Order: sequence, then structure tokens, then C-alpha cells
Amino acid sequence: MSVAPIAITGMGCICAAGGNLSDSMNALLRGERRPAPPVRFASNHPVRYPVFEAVDFEEPPDLLRTSAFALHAAREAFADAGLDRKTLGTLRVGVCVGTTVGTVMSEETFCRGYLAGDEPDMAPFRRILHSNPADVIAREFDLSGPRQTVVTACSSGTDAVGIAGSWIRAGLCDAAIAGGADELGRITYIGFISLMITDDSPCKPFDRHRKGLNLGEGAAMLVLVSERVLRRVGIRARSFLLGYGSASDAYHLTAPRPDGAGLRSAISEALATSGVSSASVAFVNAHGTGTPDNDRVESRVLHDMLPGIPFLSTKGYTGHTLGAAGAIEAVFTAACLEIGKIPANAGFETPDPGIGITPVTEVTPFAGSVALSESLAFGGNNSVVVLGKA
Amino acid sequence: MSGTARIVLEGIGVVGGFGCGIADLSRALAEGNDRPGTLSLSTGSGPIEFPAFRADTSRLKEFVPARTLRRIDHFSKLALLGSHLALADAGLAETEHERLGLIIASGYGATGITYAFLKSFINDGDICASPTYFANSVHNSAAAHISIVLGARGPSLTVSQFDLSVPSALTSVRQWLLEGRVDRVLFGAVEELSELIGYAWYRQRGAPRMPMTPLWTGKETAIPAEGAAFFLFSRTEEARAGYCTLETAVTGSPANAGFPLPGDGLLLLGADGRRETGRRYAVLAENARIACYTPLYGSMPAGPAFDLASAALIIKEGRIFPSPGDASLDFPATIPAGGEPAGADRISCLTLAGDKAYGLTTLGKLPGTTGECARED
Repeated sequence: MSVAPIAITGMGCICAAGGNLSDSMNALLRGERRPAPPVRFASNHPVRYPVFEAVDFEEPPDLLRTSAFALHAAREAFADAGLDRKTLGTLRVGVCVGTTVGTVMSEETFCRGYLAGDEPDMAPFRRILHSNPADVIAREFDLSGPRQTVVTACSSGTDAVGIAGSWIRAGLCDAAIAGGADELGRITYIGFISLMITDDSPCKPFDRHRKGLNLGEGAAMLVLVSERVLRRVGIRARSFLLGYGSASDAYHLTAPRPDGAGLRSAISEALATSGVSSASVAFVNAHGTGTPDNDRVESRVLHDMLPGIPFLSTKGYTGHTLGAAGAIEAVFTAACLEIGKIPANAGFETPDPGIGITPVTEVTPFAGSVALSESLAFGGNNSVVVLGKA
Repeated sequence: MSGTARIVLEGIGVVGGFGCGIADLSRALAEGNDRPGTLSLSTGSGPIEFPAFRADTSRLKEFVPARTLRRIDHFSKLALLGSHLALADAGLAETEHERLGLIIASGYGATGITYAFLKSFINDGDICASPTYFANSVHNSAAAHISIVLGARGPSLTVSQFDLSVPSALTSVRQWLLEGRVDRVLFGAVEELSELIGYAWYRQRGAPRMPMTPLWTGKETAIPAEGAAFFLFSRTEEARAGYCTLETAVTGSPANAGFPLPGDGLLLLGADGRRETGRRYAVLAENARIACYTPLYGSMPAGPAFDLASAALIIKEGRIFPSPGDASLDFPATIPAGGEPAGADRISCLTLAGDKAYGLTTLGKLPGTTGECARED
């Protein structure tokens, strides 16, 4: 059942931790994080919940912030891969992007105007139609391959990477830019508060006193290329996409299945397709949102399926970036494989007896060459990618 | 995939302005029934009413207990109904769904409940935002409800690529089956014509008027629509009853790679009366043998799934249905008369998006079979 590895030749990232992958990784390794109440939008909710905004990033007026994030990360990833527009023009390149808000027809100003009986400006609506993340990247780089915007909630970014790998193996394209992007706005902020799963202090994944997640925003992109293109264009692999798995909980719209059956299936499929054993996994970049339910279920599965393997959540540095999270965590995972160490699980202080396992609490070196990055999502989606060191 | 393995379409479940179930669609195709309902809206200049294809989900209670449906919105009800109809059509309603994959395509998603969520805090303050509405507003809510109701624990994917949502999602249907990830894929496209989408339509295009004449490509004649079209696909190396095979599903841009239009067979156009894509259909389909059935189900991002269902019926029944409004053609092409033999073993469905992107899905005749399958009444 194992599949051919796919070379990852370039990566890009923007999030609250940094405007590119290098700056983000340095911040993680220094243990820096800056959650704060939102500055880009206001809320009349009495509690000001901390978030992780990419405050220095400005999107152009004709694009959704989500798609502008996606483009920013794609530019970094293509440059990192050494693929210029001329070379891209000689290849059939696919685009697969995960998002939660990048295609949603919700614009508060427009809705307020309609509710008030006005004739609201249609520009925000047209901007949404013009901003499908996969379309935006395909247009910008004049890419001719398949395109897909994946909307599997918080596993979107992980799914997008796995799907793009499948396209290349099937010969649907020579290369693909794949990842995830999501902006943070009022609607998402208010929605998550309404679900009562946000922490009013900096998030504490896997900690005994965890109260919920902090939202974040950003994007990450990976350039995947076929073996043939790798040889023909003469570029190097930074790492490899070894396997991918996904499965549904079929349980609840927002809560994970208590026995973690969906996540177990996703991990099993990801390991089987990668052809590696659980014992050879060096570390796991967990979903680790900091919600009581997620961390309980996820740690139970890690305890059973990957016992003793170091794990961490990087959401203590980025917040939960929703559709971007899987991609951001995939590029962090690949970057950690390159440098042979993982950052501390920010926010963790007190072990939870109900969990029984603890994430890494300091920068931790490792010796292996394979790692997992996993995502759990609303809708009961569970997705896992297996990445390998080049 | 071995030389004899193929992807077979085993069941279809459709609900739209034409009715509910594959028999209703078949009847609408045969009779050319293009009679939409209406949509009523409040606007800044007063209430309006215009033609729109609305879908009725009342048959869902035949499949799902009313208690289960209490908090499920119209978008997910459409998807649940389509999925159950497809499984019933394939004779697999009572089957275990352990190795069933689920793929949903939607251009706009659950816009009705999204608007309800916004209203909950716009009207009453941020602290009064509805968690139920928010949870159901995510694009994959329909997939979640289907997987929960069916107990389907295989992989699940939701795609939102606006006009190309259907052909893009179909590439994943093929991949999952060819890779052996699952034994079957339940694939569906769903769109709801919510108040919000209806109003945005009216503001962008004005109130639509009858009739919808998509082959008069220089003219805006689109009529908004909602509905769900679901399909049960399986991979098999044996003869299996069904409608047809799924031969190819590709999306892309012709910028560098050319355009893989089929050289023979019938080309089913997704032209839906929108002027921005109409002229491109005319250019690409010039001198081709074409058909177009969008006047039967209207204009919506899920429309290509209804094209797919229509193509499957043509292949199964071996005859072409008349294209409604075929007299209104403003480019050179051949439109077969109703009842004419399909004439080729393949039908391709072409979908064009607002930019240069395209989707092309090709269905083929089941080799060595009569193509008979379980059918609902």
C-alpha cells in the first residue's frame, strides 16, 4: 500500500510568529509568542480574547486577506524552490489550497446593509468571488494544472498537501503548490467565542489547566515536484512527503470522537502509505489546540499508537490558524527535520493526569528522519501527513 | 488500475427545480420541462419576486427520522436527501459504509445558516452569536451530517472552487478509487439559493426573466437555482450494473497546455445563461455536436453535477434528450434532435469558469452490459 515519496522543494510561511518560514522557525526556537487582543477589528463582547494576528501584513484592496496570505506564502515557496515564472511556464503545475473562510459568502458590512434595508455596496461580494485561494495563485503564476480549494475546516491544509501529492503520483501534474491559508476576522472570532472553546489567556495545549484555543491567521505553502521534474530542472529536495491519511469520526459536528477512531484510522493510513513503522517516527507535530476535548482525544491516540514518541503543538506560537494550520504545521515539521530539533510546546506547564503523556517542554534534539503532522477538524475530519528528511 | 478495472456510476440521487429523484429528472429531460418556481426578496426599493429553481426536501423524511433533522439547515438537508436517493438508486441504502469515501462540492456553501449566524450577532450583539448556526456554517457541514447519519468513517473531502467545484472534486473521486483508498465514493454537489445569495444575484444581474436560453450566448438569461446531485461511484474489475463509467475528470487552464476537447461524441455544455462565460462556450464548442440542459435545473455552481446526471441518463437510455431552447443558438454547432441515438460511447461535460479555467468530465458506456441498474420510481 505504500506510495512513492514526493519531493518538497520549497516552502513558504506567514503567521504571527513571522513573515516567512525562517523568521517563524527562529521565533519558535526562541520560545517567543505574542498573543494579544485583536487590533485589526473590534468586538463588543465583554471579554477580550487573545489572538495571534499577523499585524504587519497588509492585503491589497481587491483580494481577501486569506488569498493575499496564500500568495505571499506561495511566492516564498516558489522562490525557495528555485522555480521562476519562466520555468513554471514549462511545467503543468497544480494548485491545492485549504481554507475555511477563503470561499465563504459572508461579509458583515454587506449583511448589515441588507438587513437595514439599504442597497449595500457589492464590492465585498465581488471580492470574495475574485479571491478563491487556488484560483488566485493559479492566475498570479499562470499555472495550467488542476486546481482545488479544500474546505474540510481545520484539516484543510493537511488535506491539500496530501491531495497534491496524489495528483503528482497520478501524473495529473508535474508539480504542485499546496498548502493552506486563513485570515482572522470578526465572524470567526465571534463564532469561536460562541462555542465556548476559546481561552481568555494565552493557550496552553496539553496542559492540565487548558481552557481552549486562541485563534490565529496566516498561510503556508509547499512546492511538491515529481521525480522527473526534480531531475530535469536540477533542483534539490528539502524534504519528502511520504504518506497521507484521512478519516471521518462520523460522530459530531464540532467535538472529536471520544475514542479517537477517526484519528487512529488516519494515522494508520498515513503510516501505511508512507511505508514506515510507528517506531521510526522521530516526533509528532500534534493538532494540540488547547481545548479540553481535542487534547484529551489526541493524547489518548498518541499514547496508544505512538507511545514514547516526542510530540508538541506549535499552536502556542501561531494560534489556531484553522484552514492554514495543517500547512503551517507541515512546513514547521519539515523544517524541524532539517535542523534535527523541535521547539518547546509553548504554554505547557502542568501535566494533566487525565492525559497521561506530556509534550516536549524545551527545545529537543532528535535523531530520526520521519515525522507526523496531524489535524483534527470540525465535521469530524482527521488528517495526517508523514514527512521525511531529504 | 488494471486493464479491465473501471469506475462505475452505480446510483444517482437528484433534487432540484425539476423535482426529486432520477425519474423526475429523466421526465424533465424527455419533456423539456423548464418551469422554475419563484424567489421573493426584500430589497432597498421594496419587495420583489422573480423566477428561480427551488428544491423541495420533504422526501427526506422517508430516509431520516424527523428528530435527527431538527437542527439541520436547508443546505445539509439537500445534501442528505441527494445522498440517500443515490444510495437507494444503487440498491445500497442498507449497506455498511465502512469503506465509503465522501466527497462534496459546493460553490457557495451553507449560505442560509451563515446569514442566520451573522444576523444573530448583528441584531443582538456579539455576545448573542448563535453557536449552533456557527457550527453549521462551515463548508463541510453537509459532509459531516451525511457521515454521521450514514456512519461513514472513510475519508471525507469538501471542495469549494465556485464554478469548477464539481469537476475539481471529481478528480479526487477518481484518485481515491484508483488508489484503492476506498471501495466506493459517494460524491455530491449541493447549492442552496438562500435569501443572501438570491439578493446578491439580483444586485449583480437584475431580476431574471423567462426563458433561459443559454445557447444564445451573447445574452444574459440565467435563472438562479438550488439543488443537490449525488452519485455513487465504485471501482470494479467485474461487470457491474450501473449507468456508465467515469472515464476522465480534469481541471486546469488552457494557458500552456492546450485544451483537451474530445474529437467525437456529444459535448454537453454547462452554459447557464451567464454572459461572462457564454461567449467562451460558443468559441470552444464551435462546430461541435452539443447539448445543453441547464434550462431544466437553472444556474448554480453545482450545475455541472446535473449535467453529469443528464449525461449518465443519455448513456444509459442510448438516446439524446432535446436541448430546451435549442432554436436560440448564436454560434455554429450541431444540436441533435430529441430521441436521436447517442451515437458515440462517450459524452463529455464541459464547464467553464469566469477566468480561463475549465473542467472536463467524460463518461463512457459500460462495456459488455446493457447498463441496466436499480432505479427508483
